[in-house]
Amino acid sequence: MINRRSAVTFMALGTASVLSIMAGAFSANAANKELKIGFVGVTSGPAAAWGTSNVRSMQTRAEWINEMGGVKIGGETYDINIITFDDQKDPKRAIAGMEKMAQEGIHYVVGPNVDDGAAAVRPVAEAKGIIYFPYAFPKPLYVAPASNAILGMIANYQSGPAIYKFLKEKKGVKTIAFVAANESDPLSQREGGVAAAKALGLQVVAEKDTYQNDTRDFTPVLTPVVKLKPDLLVLSGVAPGNAPLLIRAARELGYKGLISTETAHDAKVLQEGAGELADGFISVGGASTPEIASDMMKEFVRRYTKKFGEYNDESNTKVYALDYILETLKANPAAINNVEEFKRTVDTFSAPNPYVKGEGKLKYVGTASFGQKRQIAVPMVVNTYKDGKFETLFVGEVD
Amino acid sequence: MEQVFANGLYLGAQYALIALGLTLIFALMNVLNFAHGQMYVLGGFITYTVYARLGLPFVVALFASGVTLATVGALIEKFLFRPVIRRSVREESTMLLAAAIAFLLDALILLLFGEKQRGVPKIVKGVFTSDALIMPYDRILVGILAIAFIAAFVLFMQYSKPGRAMRALAQDRVAAQLMGVRVDRYSMIGFALGAMLAGVVGGLLVAITGISSGIGGPISIKAFMMVMIGGAGVVGGAIAGGFILGMLESVGLSALHDYGDITYLVIFAALMVFLSLRPNGLMGKPWG
Amino acid sequence: MSPTKKLAATAAFLASVLVAVPWAIAATGRNDLYYTLTSVALLSIASAGVWLTFYIGRINIGQGAYALIGGYTSAILVVDYGVSFWLTLPIAGLFCAAASVLIGLPILRLRGVYFAMVTLVLTEVARLLALALPITHGASGMVSIPAPGAIRLFGVTLVPDFATLQNPRLAFYIVSVVLMALCYAGLYRLVHSRMGRLCLSLQQNEELASSIGVNIAWLRVVAYAISSFLGGIGGAMFAAIAQSIYPSSFTVTDSVNFMLNCFLGGLGYVFGPMIGTFVLYFGWDFLFQTGEYQLLIYSSLLIALMLFLPNGLLSLRPAAKKRG
Repeated sequence: MINRRSAVTFMALGTASVLSIMAGAFSANAANKELKIGFVGVTSGPAAAWGTSNVRSMQTRAEWINEMGGVKIGGETYDINIITFDDQKDPKRAIAGMEKMAQEGIHYVVGPNVDDGAAAVRPVAEAKGIIYFPYAFPKPLYVAPASNAILGMIANYQSGPAIYKFLKEKKGVKTIAFVAANESDPLSQREGGVAAAKALGLQVVAEKDTYQNDTRDFTPVLTPVVKLKPDLLVLSGVAPGNAPLLIRAARELGYKGLISTETAHDAKVLQEGAGELADGFISVGGASTPEIASDMMKEFVRRYTKKFGEYNDESNTKVYALDYILETLKANPAAINNVEEFKRTVDTFSAPNPYVKGEGKLKYVGTASFGQKRQIAVPMVVNTYKDGKFETLFVGEVD
Repeated sequence: MEQVFANGLYLGAQYALIALGLTLIFALMNVLNFAHGQMYVLGGFITYTVYARLGLPFVVALFASGVTLATVGALIEKFLFRPVIRRSVREESTMLLAAAIAFLLDALILLLFGEKQRGVPKIVKGVFTSDALIMPYDRILVGILAIAFIAAFVLFMQYSKPGRAMRALAQDRVAAQLMGVRVDRYSMIGFALGAMLAGVVGGLLVAITGISSGIGGPISIKAFMMVMIGGAGVVGGAIAGGFILGMLESVGLSALHDYGDITYLVIFAALMVFLSLRPNGLMGKPWG
Repeated sequence: MSPTKKLAATAAFLASVLVAVPWAIAATGRNDLYYTLTSVALLSIASAGVWLTFYIGRINIGQGAYALIGGYTSAILVVDYGVSFWLTLPIAGLFCAAASVLIGLPILRLRGVYFAMVTLVLTEVARLLALALPITHGASGMVSIPAPGAIRLFGVTLVPDFATLQNPRLAFYIVSVVLMALCYAGLYRLVHSRMGRLCLSLQQNEELASSIGVNIAWLRVVAYAISSFLGGIGGAMFAAIAQSIYPSSFTVTDSVNFMLNCFLGGLGYVFGPMIGTFVLYFGWDFLFQTGEYQLLIYSSLLIALMLFLPNGLLSLRPAAKKRG
């Protein structure tokens, strides 16, 4: 029986744990000033994987920087403090999160992870002077008069055409089929994909098949599509958790063609969920393939793995936003609490990319897609899955 | 066509098994267990851990899922639902409790097992192929197991002493009590059994679809729908509802394939019309 | 309560939300609270609708659908037809009420969990419709919705254009709490009217009510229409604040939350949903500092609350008259 006393103990324990967690947040390096960087995105529920890989990349990187003595911006040394907010994939909560960030005096926020959240926080971000880095593709977020959002990855309408072109020329792909979840983000991505495929002269054999995002068994969804025997099956905007299930269902139904997507995925998830059936699956990633990754990237992966027990390959892309923020602030210290300065710096900013081998640059791009530089340049590494690892197919660039 | 039909049957078998546990708990206590999907997820992760991480046989993993969930279910009934039901004015209040338990399990699962989609090595390799039908052997096995579990459950409810007691309880709580059925005890056993079913089906399906931490809510909602189709609180109804929904999805996705995004819209709209015509589902008791 | 006491209580409430709260926010500099409180006000309006359906004995998990419909109605009228936001606000509510009559006539015959589940499915139907219909702009949603414009009467500016305001958050806050006050005053009035007593008789026993000559079908539909009207108003306001709306702006989660707000506050109390919304929303917000343990602590507290106050927070009130 739960009686009043045991429940009081329970509540007291709860309160105590709250207090201890709050106390833990204050144990930073006391000598340095503190630079708060925000995160607003989804870290619980079915889409938790998206935000979690964000938060963990940021926390790993921040801890690493702080361990090295902090980051030097304009003669002052700062410790990075990551403030996170779980919006539960609810745009109404995302607004509250952005307000919270403004209240904390934060000017640079990573997230939100989905279209509706990114659109909903725009009024707050612009009113309160916050630059945010959404992982959402709708162009109105980045095209003027919108000015405070910077796309944190490569959009599908940028990577899709490059992938289809490559597969058309190198693998003789002629027919293409699209499957997407019946939700805003994947449907918009499918629309972009279909347009790109048609522009390349590919024959689109299926462009209307959808599934509910909470589907667990994809055989019924894929049965009619596989029957059409397309050369390439595109899983538009597929969530990391669904990808292996879709791949497995398609292969077990006897599908022989290629499967690709334009989002980032995790090799371990593919391996567990689909095993060898996932071999040849094409996706887009940051810089973790051995051909590309620099020593610093390897060190990041090592630290991430040590801190959280397991790496997530999606973080190859998501590690970048924090570095972009810090490097841009270093280039123009006045931007630290003035985002107008930041926007000015965006046009000319350039720094070496520490995560890739060779001559890679950190710079802002997006002029071709948005008419202004509102996207970070992440190397577009198109890779293919093989035996639990990703191999580089080709590396592209966005302008 | 055979393929579509087989897909539907396979889906139906797993759906029916999911719905059984939910309908049992509902029949006994008038509690709509919002946490049913989360119990499914917990069962899935236990099987995953025991089978994929510890390397023990799949059957052992399944057993571990069942036992753990039965324990969890029994504890939840005894320490949470029972006191709240006794003291609340309107019995719907248990919905808030059930939702809170769902949140709690969601949080625990996320903290314990992480945010990633998990899967296990195939339990049986190979695919059955004929001209009309392609079906991997592991799906066939899981389908047969699901049907076997359903049959075992029905027999248990029909012929065992606890089964009979629970049926009496579901029919009329007060009358059962007057006839000497120990209401508290069998409510607890029933809740444990319902939770165990959720855990076992979660574990079973890890072999096919894997498991991930956030899918509990959607699974619950799907289970609610099946229970509504068949009629709440009736074992036969849950089984019928599961198979009907499975078949609807499979046939709908194929037949409406050319029209794109509307299969589920049609299914949901049909469900609403159906329930307006038959307010208690196929065979449900009135006021659930 | 005597009329003077009621009047005093109302005045005290309005003074605290319209004067004391903005003053406290200005004093402490916690500007983010404006949005949080606005959210609470709007969500509690939608929750009030759900409470009313509880009052006639129906568990309503479909309010998210009407919030979404209301949001889209307002957004489409503002963006595609250039109608003033202030005009679209009542239109959104009325459109939802009309839709709910059509939907309600068949489904209100259902009871208990069946009604609950059908309304839950309704939320999903609304989302899928928003994705499929051309008028809603489908998956890409509606973004860059202009802020509410000015209201001028005989050349006098009654409400300024929100886009020109120094602090639009404060303006949204004031509009929302005024709407909330109106909503709850109306609800209080309704529950204490003859119709309210009839609704109560529905909750207790529909057959009996019908046998003594209560037109139960009419009563149910009216209550449901009022409920949906409130959902539509809440949704339309949110679309204006976010200046965007997506098919996923209101989902099953929202529908469930509206229902939980009512449970938590107490189904027997008119102001239950308001208190419930406030506590649930702020509870979550307050646990913001606990990071990844947020949901764990939140849900544990919810369970503890249920164990001690299974009839809602307002059941704490000493010597409370039931159904106050």
